[in-house]
Amino acid sequence: MDYLFKAFRDAFGLIVGLDGEVYYVVWTSLKVSLAACLLAALIGVPLGMKIALARFRGRTCVLLLLNTLMALPTVVVGLFLYGLLGRRGPLGALEILYTPAGIILGEFILALPIVANLTVSAVKGLDPRLLLTCKSLGASPGQEARMILVEARYAVTAAIVAAFGRVIGEVGIAMMVGGNIKGFTRTMTTAIALETSKGEFELGLALGILLLLVALIVNVALQMLQRSKADD
Amino acid sequence: MTEGAAYILEDVTFAYGERVALEVPRLEIPRGKVTAIVGANGAGKTTLLHLLGFIEPPRTGRITFFDKDVAPEEALDFRRRVGLLLQDPYLFHTSVLANVEWGLKLRRVPVKERRERAMRALEQVGLSGFERRAAPALSGGESKRLALARVLALETDVLLLDEPMSHMDRESAGRTEQVIRELNRERGVSVLLASPDILWAQALTDNVLSLHDGKIVPASLANVFRGRITDAGRSFETAKISIYLGAAEAQATHLAIDPSAIVTHLAIDPSAIVLSKEPLTSSMRNTLHGRVVAISEEAAKVRVEVDAGERFHVLITKKSLETFDLRLGDEVCLSFKSTAVKLF
Repeated sequence: MDYLFKAFRDAFGLIVGLDGEVYYVVWTSLKVSLAACLLAALIGVPLGMKIALARFRGRTCVLLLLNTLMALPTVVVGLFLYGLLGRRGPLGALEILYTPAGIILGEFILALPIVANLTVSAVKGLDPRLLLTCKSLGASPGQEARMILVEARYAVTAAIVAAFGRVIGEVGIAMMVGGNIKGFTRTMTTAIALETSKGEFELGLALGILLLLVALIVNVALQMLQRSKADD
Repeated sequence: MTEGAAYILEDVTFAYGERVALEVPRLEIPRGKVTAIVGANGAGKTTLLHLLGFIEPPRTGRITFFDKDVAPEEALDFRRRVGLLLQDPYLFHTSVLANVEWGLKLRRVPVKERRERAMRALEQVGLSGFERRAAPALSGGESKRLALARVLALETDVLLLDEPMSHMDRESAGRTEQVIRELNRERGVSVLLASPDILWAQALTDNVLSLHDGKIVPASLANVFRGRITDAGRSFETAKISIYLGAAEAQATHLAIDPSAIVTHLAIDPSAIVLSKEPLTSSMRNTLHGRVVAISEEAAKVRVEVDAGERFHVLITKKSLETFDLRLGDEVCLSFKSTAVKLF
């Protein structure tokens, strides 16, 4: 037990002491995760709305595919991207393997089905009278979509938060596509894995606590944003 | 803008899948008037209002709106020229004021004017002071009034109201009725309202369109009885009463269907029925005896229900009610001409 207490004490020391290495890793994690989620939201939300509202052939298959992709293992995405982005891969010319951009791409792939699928559920869960009411008040299709998004804002935000939760805690993509390069692509999760394997349990634990704190702060911030929007 | 027609429908049909919900060979809806669309649930009232509100295009046929043909690709422009109050409108999860302003925002009305129009509409429906309240927290009647304000704020030349009085208490319904009359009288707004309450509609306006099974029928849908034609087309018999239809040669002028049809419906205009305490000596061939079972106020008139074997609804003026000193349980005579009778 002493060993654990000591680890916790040291971990808090690193956090409170504003250890540069720790905060750089936190910053990298936040940067790539937020960028991936932003991209996934920009594409996934309209995509989810389209799937929820449109009637087209193969819609059930698309929904099934999205459901399946929600359970995508991160190492599989990492592996797949490694093959694509490697020097000999078809996208090797992009030279984004072992860069933050590579991690963002991988985490975007991970987040997209989550955002899209949960947006489908959010829109399908709306009151069926909403669309007709928008139409009756003279809304164009674009204005209808905007109002649908406004009315589904809580559930859509929850979709983005869920995706953020998934990407900030993933390790497979960050490790395989990012390469865990110190000061460049090292994220919280890859650092935890590395430091623990090196026997630096305190640093690993400090990062673990920070990971939870970051998740908490992001969730609180989003909740506050939702509240302020609701009061508008 | 009271001359001509607000709408002209020609050969218009609409179907949900295979089920034909509306068939209108020709229909003109006058400008600047209040027109009521009546019919039972499922008769096609809402479908007709949605077509007139350009929410849905007709499956076949042509709609002319204020002398302009409506092409499907122009539906949005035309939709913005009418105000449609849905039967069961949805209120956005925001404030009362934001709900009313939304339609104006879509039309890019400047902020100041938007606010003024929204406040005016809220005042019209008696919701002044509710601006900052959350719309979903309103009661059923208040919600309906808010939805009406949202439509009124658009200040369109045509108002389509689908069962505007449903979920409203008596006071709100009275106020809404007054708003409809004022808009029509003062601004010449053409108002179309759908209602299942035939007598209320007839008391409110002289222009009543009756819908039955998706078709417009040339009859008031009050006092509708199911029965059979007998006596070589001269009589109509329900299970309980017999009604004289007139001489065979006169029937062509007021009977909508082939008198040889066996089972059909008959309707009697409630304004064309004369109530009296004693039998009348007149040219009216149909006289039935009954008992007053209900008296109620209906718009500017009085609705009297008489049980004469079948239950009859009669619309009389308030003055007639006072003159006759009519009370519940009174024995009365119902008289009507055979020309007041319509078959369909």
